Amino acid sequence: MSEDPQAIALAGWLAAAARRDRAAFGRLYAASAAKLYAVALRILRREDWAEEVLQECYVSIWTHAPDYRPGLAAPMTWMTSIVRNRCLDWLRRPRLELSDEDGAITEAAPSDRAGPLEELELAKSRSAVARCLGELEARQRQAIALAFYDGLSHAELASHMREPLGTVKTWVRRGLLKLKGCLERQEQA
Amino acid sequence: MNAKNKPELRERLAAEYALGTLRGRARSRLRRWMDDDAALARAVGEWEARLMPLAETLPPVRVPGRVWREVESRLGAGARTGFWDRVAFWRPVGILATGAMAALLAAIVLVPAVKPTPEVDTVPEAYIAVLSDAKTQRPMLIATAARHDARLSVKALDPAILVSGGSLELWAVPRQGAPRSLGLLETAHATLKLVANADRTLGEIPLLAVSLEPRGGSRTGAPTGPVLYSGPCVKYW
Repeated sequence: MSEDPQAIALAGWLAAAARRDRAAFGRLYAASAAKLYAVALRILRREDWAEEVLQECYVSIWTHAPDYRPGLAAPMTWMTSIVRNRCLDWLRRPRLELSDEDGAITEAAPSDRAGPLEELELAKSRSAVARCLGELEARQRQAIALAFYDGLSHAELASHMREPLGTVKTWVRRGLLKLKGCLERQEQA
Repeated sequence: MNAKNKPELRERLAAEYALGTLRGRARSRLRRWMDDDAALARAVGEWEARLMPLAETLPPVRVPGRVWREVESRLGAGARTGFWDRVAFWRPVGILATGAMAALLAAIVLVPAVKPTPEVDTVPEAYIAVLSDAKTQRPMLIATAARHDARLSVKALDPAILVSGGSLELWAVPRQGAPRSLGLLETAHATLKLVANADRTLGEIPLLAVSLEPRGGSRTGAPTGPVLYSGPCVKYW
């Protein structure tokens, strides 16, 4: 298990929640909900959907807390995966009729994520993978950031980046391999 | 398509599943494969561990209070009030945080308007250690002490760990030198008296460990039995 105090506290609360300790679960929620909400909101781009997904995910986290294995994943990794999976499933629902009357969705549409500010954020992040992402070639970085943060599929990436499908798939695949290599080098260092 | 004997394909699918670009039926199919392909499930887990920390760069967003109320109403029976309600040292925010605690504080500080989220406006100023089972890595004990207090609270997450034939003894393991006994764990929620306040007794202690000793504790002053649980001891402030 990581020695990051936040990860230790989250793991402790998760373990207590697995023993049906509701107060510990409340602390877990208080320490993680604002981050997971940001993840869901960015992918779904609608507050009502993000709230509903977040609710479902915390009920699921409560239900599956006994299955959590600290040796396999950090608590935030485990919970973030649950939220992203749920968001991507949600986007598959046929009832996704995008009526955007007030233009809120259009305004919140994925922006170009290769700007200098974005790079700065990635570079100073305490997460190694964010720093590695910041070191990728611009188009690979942009494709992976749009896929991860905004939840775009390959087809949506191609349309958003105005490039052929095969090209963006290659960017994603090569970018992921470089990320892996970069992380492995950091671990050895 | 079968990923079983194609390590490169498996690796690519695992990465795209974790990233989220694998969608629709392909995504559902991969989930089913994971159930009976342990190597695939492991590859997905590894890619999730690599990629999920990217989410840390997103600024936290305040969650409307109704979300917690709805979650709580759906938890159902079986939940109970527990240990964390009784920990006495949680106190209001008002102190500066540095380093690794900053992110946790950011999340907590952003939430106070959310009521009645439990205790969101509090933050620990204390030492905490989560001791895990040496074999399964599951957290089994949580030890906490307020900085200026000479009492260490030790909560067993599973009361079944208390053994009848011997005694569980808790040790402070310094970076150098011999472990020092902190006392015996005789109840599921033990309060051990420290020789001095936590800042002095735990300040330089990176690790706590529990060994199985003869009834009444080690007779030599050093651990003699197997170490069953251990975990890093960290300071919060």
